[in-house]
Amino acid sequence: METQTALNTFVKETGGWAASQLEACTRCGMCAEACHFYQATGIPEYAPVWKIELLSRAYEQRFTVSGKIKLALGIDKPINDQDLLDWSKYIYHACTVCNKCSMVCPMGIDLGTLIHDVRSGLAEAGVVPADLKAAVELQLKEGSPLGVTDEVFEDRLEWVTDDWEVDIPIDKEGAETLVVFSSIEIMKFPQNLAAIAEILNAAGENWTLSSKAREVVNFGFYEGSHERTALFLRRILDHAAEMGVKRIVVTECGHAYDALRWTAYNITDVPKDIEITHISHLLGEYVSAGRIHLKEGALNGETITFHDACKIQRKGGHIQEPRQVLEVLAPESFVEMSPNKEEAICCGGGGGVIAIKEADPLRYEAFKLKKDQIEKVQAKTVVMACSNCRLQFTDCVQHFEMDVKVAGLSQLVADALVE
Amino acid sequence: MSEKTIYQHLQEQGVSRRDFLKLCGMLVGAMGISVPPLESADFLFQSDGVDQRMVQRVAKALESKTRAPVIWLEFQDCAGCTEALTRSQSPTLIDLVLNSISVEYHETLTAAAGFQTEANKEAIMQAYHGQYVLVVEGSIPTAAGGAYCTIGGRSAVDLLEEAAEGAAAIIATGNCSAFGGLPKAAPNPTGAKGVWEIIKDKPVVNIPGCPAIPEVFTGTLAHFLIFGNLPELDDLNRPMTFYGKTVHDRCLRRPFYDAGKFAMSFDDQGAKEGWCLYKLGCKGPTTYNACASIKWDAGLSFPVQSGHPCLGCSEPDFWDGGGFYQGQSAPLNPPGMVSVGTAVGAGAVIGAVMAANNASQKKRATAAGNETYREDKKEA
Amino acid sequence: MNWNEILEFSRGALFNVALIFFVAGMVYRLVRVLLLGWSRDRAPAAGSKVGGVAKSFLKGILIWPFIPWVKRTFSKNPIIYLAGGLFHLGLFAAIFLGTPHMLVWKSLLGFGWRTLPVPIVDWLSAGAILAMIVLLINRRINPVLKLISGPAEYLSWLVVFLPMVSGYMMTHHMFFRYEVLFSLHMIAVDVLLIWIPLSRISHFMFYFFSRTIHGLEFGKRAVTP
Repeated sequence: METQTALNTFVKETGGWAASQLEACTRCGMCAEACHFYQATGIPEYAPVWKIELLSRAYEQRFTVSGKIKLALGIDKPINDQDLLDWSKYIYHACTVCNKCSMVCPMGIDLGTLIHDVRSGLAEAGVVPADLKAAVELQLKEGSPLGVTDEVFEDRLEWVTDDWEVDIPIDKEGAETLVVFSSIEIMKFPQNLAAIAEILNAAGENWTLSSKAREVVNFGFYEGSHERTALFLRRILDHAAEMGVKRIVVTECGHAYDALRWTAYNITDVPKDIEITHISHLLGEYVSAGRIHLKEGALNGETITFHDACKIQRKGGHIQEPRQVLEVLAPESFVEMSPNKEEAICCGGGGGVIAIKEADPLRYEAFKLKKDQIEKVQAKTVVMACSNCRLQFTDCVQHFEMDVKVAGLSQLVADALVE
Repeated sequence: MSEKTIYQHLQEQGVSRRDFLKLCGMLVGAMGISVPPLESADFLFQSDGVDQRMVQRVAKALESKTRAPVIWLEFQDCAGCTEALTRSQSPTLIDLVLNSISVEYHETLTAAAGFQTEANKEAIMQAYHGQYVLVVEGSIPTAAGGAYCTIGGRSAVDLLEEAAEGAAAIIATGNCSAFGGLPKAAPNPTGAKGVWEIIKDKPVVNIPGCPAIPEVFTGTLAHFLIFGNLPELDDLNRPMTFYGKTVHDRCLRRPFYDAGKFAMSFDDQGAKEGWCLYKLGCKGPTTYNACASIKWDAGLSFPVQSGHPCLGCSEPDFWDGGGFYQGQSAPLNPPGMVSVGTAVGAGAVIGAVMAANNASQKKRATAAGNETYREDKKEA
Repeated sequence: MNWNEILEFSRGALFNVALIFFVAGMVYRLVRVLLLGWSRDRAPAAGSKVGGVAKSFLKGILIWPFIPWVKRTFSKNPIIYLAGGLFHLGLFAAIFLGTPHMLVWKSLLGFGWRTLPVPIVDWLSAGAILAMIVLLINRRINPVLKLISGPAEYLSWLVVFLPMVSGYMMTHHMFFRYEVLFSLHMIAVDVLLIWIPLSRISHFMFYFFSRTIHGLEFGKRAVTP
């Protein structure tokens, strides 16, 4: 039953876009060279080409003559329940859907999206790691996978507004910009709420939060289920439409941006007159347009480097904006890691991996690549624009006992605001 | 019959001893024969690259042997091979060999005709049964019971079989008698065949070419006359001496091939410079013959030297072996637009059928998926 | 049956059959994929999609083959990068810039072009043959490649290797007379033509799909592919 559901999903979502790419694969194995999980562990099953093998097999066995013949003759085996269980581990524990593999594929195959398609099939079949499933259930019931209920939301905001003495409008009528935070920030990095509020106020932005559209994290997206992804997106989009805002700003979250900015349009209805953008883009805009003023060289001193988040930089395109900001803040102490920008190495915690306890050892192994990068440039501070990365970095810096500070971009900007 | 020896015959014609030995040397050189060295002082016997001991042996043979009778049969031919043979202008190698034989029957060359000359042929064949050399020029038609070529009311097949039965050696001169030649070109309406496709119980030496190079024919004939056996043959029964290397391997324009300098059209700058003719369709690389070394008209020239690509005329089925100007490597009969168009159409149709099948699969999968999801929702 | 007859067959009838099957097979694969359904991407683009596609092909055809260090992609595996590149270089040099093959194209298309001198194509072909051997060894010892390679992959290797080796032997007159080598080469080529639509060697056709999609995906996000 499960296998059939997964197969149906694979068949459903394999159109010309996926098929032409599955046909293009030459089995060259280059994708493995880019995958940080394979590089860190040397386990061949983690090669991206193997991760999409289920999709490939389903395609061959259902849509091609040679595949059907091989299946009938017993040369190829049909996909079974054990396959789903095995692949669930490769797809959810050993992949952050960072999409670096598609950059090195000589054929240009978009492996990240194809891996997401495999997740869709596994999600429909319910073969998803328990931790992830639980988080999805929680988000379905309470509106957040991290326990941010309506009450908790209200409480946290009150506390932040008080403690940091900052104005945070909620459900303001006539606001042009809707800002949606992630529950990671609300629960783990509440200072981000204050920081972003300060910046938006300083820029004179007509903005608000919404008590209904209050969660930008999308665990349906991690899981891969189209239905649940769309469900969580609608919670934001419907209320944004109701409020009549012109723009939605995704705060420091990566996958949420991928889901809202690039995926939403193809799985649900997005109001035409609403622009969707990311806080990192806003920061860059404010700085270059002079809407906010920063203390120049505020961070000159200790070496500082920037970690490019996969969904914000490589898949989001906001590569220059953080650097525009850091050019002002740390003109002398900023160094780039190598590789960087669209070729950056993933932190290892995205794609839902950090939510899965069983995947912790793998996550730490993958982070070793980042550790080497940081040590190579001898950075004392690593700054990023994604709070999932920040969670991963914070946890791993502690795990590896590194003498490195982990910072959010908005936080640094807010700290350096001048009149 | 007390016959004069070949040497006596030559003496009568005013060939001096000196000239005779010179001619023997040329014969040895042309045939490329040598005796295996017995002692290390072999080099002492070399003179102008020709093994002098061999020359002596050839001279001795010609001094002692009498002229051999030759029956020369022509079937579906153009007489080109005969013409090439008889076009020599000064006492040459060809002269020597032609003087060593007595052509008893030859349609083109003999003045006599009609039943008398047929009767003479019968007489010679009887008198010299097992001793005469049979030379065949032109292909043998086998269709319509052999009716496409008859002489004196008898079919070519018949005449060939009769003559072959008492021959000491059979030489097929020219591509037609060796491999069928021009008459065999598609659709081969006369059912033309080469000699060795009909005579299977005796070895037939093939001297293909269109025409055969005269020195090649005479050299081979001389070998038989002197040694009484056939020279080493390749698997198409062509003498290895003359057909062991391709035209390409001995061609004077080969350096231009290697350097990538080709004539692109007749009379263009490259052609005027004498560059390689490969792009104009030269079949040199796949043609075994002695054209590039022995050449034609007593070593005057050969097609490539004169600016025309090699046609491959010493190879079987060269008329059907790909157009003369399309390139040696090109496919023999590339499929035309109709075949390709049909293939494209067939591929597209089958592809569309498969795609339709896949589309319906997708529809079913979508419906099934929706049902499952609705069931989940009910439970939740 | 002698080698001349085998040659005539493999150059004539068998080649025609193989070529027709190749054309029909490739069209079949193409149509089957084309008609599988394409949905429009409704997300508004942040950058130029066309620019992305242009850069994607630039990356694949110019940067990677000739100035790979710009992209740093193959730094982990320089030997395999070199072997793959050398193989493709030798292959293209022989098939398109080698005089004998150009004449084949000319007879099929109706027009020809200038070609490289024999020694250059010769060395590149030798390099390609060597590269293929390196790639085969790599496919056996690299754990990822061993996992993802099945009989089809090894057969594809063989079916591409044999025409290259037989072609090389032909030009160098190695061991056999030309009609034997020419026949072997033609038979190997005929087998190759038949195998291409049935295998991943057809990737040269799907290359244009995947590279375009790659360019679109990155271009719309305003990221350099």
